[in-house]
Amino acid sequence: MIGLVLMWAIWAIWPTFQYQGLSDAEKEMLREEGKLEEIESRTIKQGLDLKGGMYIVLEVDLPTLMETLAENKDGKFNRSITSVRDQLKRTPEANFFTLFTSTSGENNLKLSRYYYDYGSSNSDIIVALEDEAEDAINRVLEILVNRVDQFGVAEPTIQKQGDQRIIVELAGVQDSERARTLLESTALLEFFIVKDINTTNQLMIRIDQVLKGDTSISAVTKTASKDQLNDSQESDDQTVSVSELFGETEDSEASSDSAVVDENIFAERPFSAMLRNLGQTIGVPEKNVYAVKKILERAEVQEKLATVGGKFLFSHKAEEYPLVDGTLETMYSLFLVEDAAELTGGVVEEAKANLGPQGSTSAGQPIVNLTMNSDGARKWSIVTGSNVGRQVALVLDKKVHMAPNIREKISGGSTLIEGFADINEAKDIAIVLRAGALPAPVDIIQEKVIGPSLGADSVRSGTLSVIIGLGIVLVFMLIYYRFAGLIADFALIWNIVLVLAVLASLQATLTLPGIAGLILTVGMSIDANVIIFERIREELRKGKTPKAAVSSGYDRALTTIIDANMTTVIAALVLWQFGTGPIKGFATVLFWGILISMFTAIFVTRTIFNSFTSRKGFTKLSI
Amino acid sequence: MRIIKETNINFMGQRKLAAILSAFVILAGVISLVINGGPKLSIDFKGGTLVSVQYTEPMDVTAVRSAMGNVNIDGQSFDFSREEIKHFGGPDAVSVRVPHIDDAPENFAQKIADHLYDSFPGRVPDNKTDFILGKGSVGPKIGAELSGKAVMAIISALGLILLYISIRFEFRFALGAIAALAHDVLITLGIFSLLGFEISLPIIAAFLTIVGYSLNDTIVIFDRIRENVKASKREAYHTMVNHSINDSLSRTIITSLTTFFVVLVLWLFGGEVIHNFALAMIIGVIVGTYSSIYVASPIVVHLHETASK
Repeated sequence: MIGLVLMWAIWAIWPTFQYQGLSDAEKEMLREEGKLEEIESRTIKQGLDLKGGMYIVLEVDLPTLMETLAENKDGKFNRSITSVRDQLKRTPEANFFTLFTSTSGENNLKLSRYYYDYGSSNSDIIVALEDEAEDAINRVLEILVNRVDQFGVAEPTIQKQGDQRIIVELAGVQDSERARTLLESTALLEFFIVKDINTTNQLMIRIDQVLKGDTSISAVTKTASKDQLNDSQESDDQTVSVSELFGETEDSEASSDSAVVDENIFAERPFSAMLRNLGQTIGVPEKNVYAVKKILERAEVQEKLATVGGKFLFSHKAEEYPLVDGTLETMYSLFLVEDAAELTGGVVEEAKANLGPQGSTSAGQPIVNLTMNSDGARKWSIVTGSNVGRQVALVLDKKVHMAPNIREKISGGSTLIEGFADINEAKDIAIVLRAGALPAPVDIIQEKVIGPSLGADSVRSGTLSVIIGLGIVLVFMLIYYRFAGLIADFALIWNIVLVLAVLASLQATLTLPGIAGLILTVGMSIDANVIIFERIREELRKGKTPKAAVSSGYDRALTTIIDANMTTVIAALVLWQFGTGPIKGFATVLFWGILISMFTAIFVTRTIFNSFTSRKGFTKLSI
Repeated sequence: MRIIKETNINFMGQRKLAAILSAFVILAGVISLVINGGPKLSIDFKGGTLVSVQYTEPMDVTAVRSAMGNVNIDGQSFDFSREEIKHFGGPDAVSVRVPHIDDAPENFAQKIADHLYDSFPGRVPDNKTDFILGKGSVGPKIGAELSGKAVMAIISALGLILLYISIRFEFRFALGAIAALAHDVLITLGIFSLLGFEISLPIIAAFLTIVGYSLNDTIVIFDRIRENVKASKREAYHTMVNHSINDSLSRTIITSLTTFFVVLVLWLFGGEVIHNFALAMIIGVIVGTYSSIYVASPIVVHLHETASK
């Protein structure tokens, strides 16, 4: 029987060795022959911490999902959602629906007004919305699987955890940034008509007027003395620290971090002073972005925006623009667009990344070609037909990618998006557009990225410590127990092989803590042998024959070993139950390690001893 | 070969001295814990962002610190010079830890890494992938959940073990074993606090392993006591316990030594990521061996003596 187990162990562990020995080219060859998958399915996988890669936990943004589902949103509804959002920030472990129910109650919010399709009483609607949320997470999961498949990662793990979370593990992924963007992107494509320049200018004047009356901002103008000037700047530029502007305590004195405004116009027009005129669009210098966003979030500014029925959107990336004096400044563009989107990404039938065709304005630039379905094509031709001469903004995830002027009515439903940094970005956007938009935005609530070099380091040092640790123990046992030590050494090696074999057949993932668990198993396995050998020695000292000593030594050590190991098994099981990722790996190895070491100590070494002691003429046991 | 000949050390006679020693070490740890306001938790539990990067030449932490004094992300400026910045593994690798910020910019960890990359041109690898050793961020929600889970794990492990020992031995043995465990974990926690090391997820795993190891040790001695109680009823209880500890002493020493070597190797060669895990194990092996002799057994003796009076 022992022989059978040994044969099984070697059979189980063989693919792992085979796989480790393969070069990349050989792997590629085997992949083509279709044999690689068979081998891979029988190897021990390396965890993120050994192979490098990323681990991300995503959570569906429920408040936003509920906002999207609601109809006839009014101020009362918006205030309630904002209040729930704030409460979630303060008590992150609270349940969204519990908060939503209680807040609706407090604010006397009749949910049937906003969610009339979902039921009539508040409690019915909450139940229906919970179902809707669960459905949303399932769709998110499906879409993410689709995206990752198209992105091309070997053995991704994408699974749901709890009610509203998704865990994504991409081992060995090289460009973690790209993968992250791909997962996080809501892929919400919208087409907005940009408001004409007159409306925009008038609105900005009104915002300036509102802010001018605000003492918190005019106070800044007075206190910001000339001493704070950055001397390399033009003399009429004054720096205003964003923190000062909003009374935050964090001090940032270095002027290079602060918003750059024109001092002369700052007092009169605090908002437009932050901006630059770029002809058709408004420029926001990179350093002013945070300040401008903060201003736009203010309630009085939001009110002004509501009166014109528009909203501000930033461009997707910053570009360098020449200033009057010839220097370059990096700026984002700011667009005032209509409140409601004319068309959304749901109409996209096909999206392909390409380089812009020769002769067009985007020649050689990465672009994404969109084909719309018939419904989309019809709407698109109406939108373009009735807005000739105006700008249309192509907005992806609330960021404007491009805002071309509509020259003529576009029928046929195809269009292209430009404004990508490189072809990879265009490819990824095409992937997310094809896979469809997420029903709700997702937040990354936990992420872990292990660089490939750290992983390789860990493998090296892990292997090294296993070998050295094992070596020391093997030599020690041999010196201390001589012949019996040899048997124990054999048992130990066999033990490790067996643990690896079990891991391979369970398709377990070996992590760094897993290696630590393996080393600990070495200790535990030796302990069982030590307990037995010490007992045998005691029995021998009492004057028993080797055969009798071995037999009673094993018998008496048995309960000790079982009791002693069971408690560690309990600890391992609890760890396994509680553990995430690496801890689970540790617990798995420890659990199997202990079971196997009990097996080897009780059966295997005993059989070996018996085969020697039962020989005729065996009188002295070397122990 | 034998290291330990037959011994007859009066362990139970030293129990007062041992109690003073244990009390002293635990007190030092507890004082340190109180002063520091509890154990120092890693971002796993507290939430926050951690970035480790690899430069091409040795870096001065002060230089990195001053570079982190002024981090500008999308027009929002931060001063991270007072955050935890230290070498990671070798002198040319640096790790930066920043606590959770409510209003954090998108992709915060990467932006910090970018800042570390751009601040020292010429001293970084050409490829950014080689530069970033690792990065991670944990939201406050996850942190709170994990803390709860970790506490639950330790409590349920202790509860199950208490049950197992009560069934296999006697209830007072279980009390002795649990006291020894609490002793071990408290001391390890205290030493970690004194050294200023943080408690991360792997360290919790190490604690539970210490629990398992220390128990293993304790139970081997208890097993001997159980056996000797059956064999001879005439001896005084504490003499018999002494006897049992002496009987199993050579096993205790050899097992502890081999395990100690193994975790020592892990500590020396296991690499940066596993360093503190191994340290917790080293402390655990030493304290665990000590506690099975000087904490668990005396408590059993004490409970027995009070019960028979």
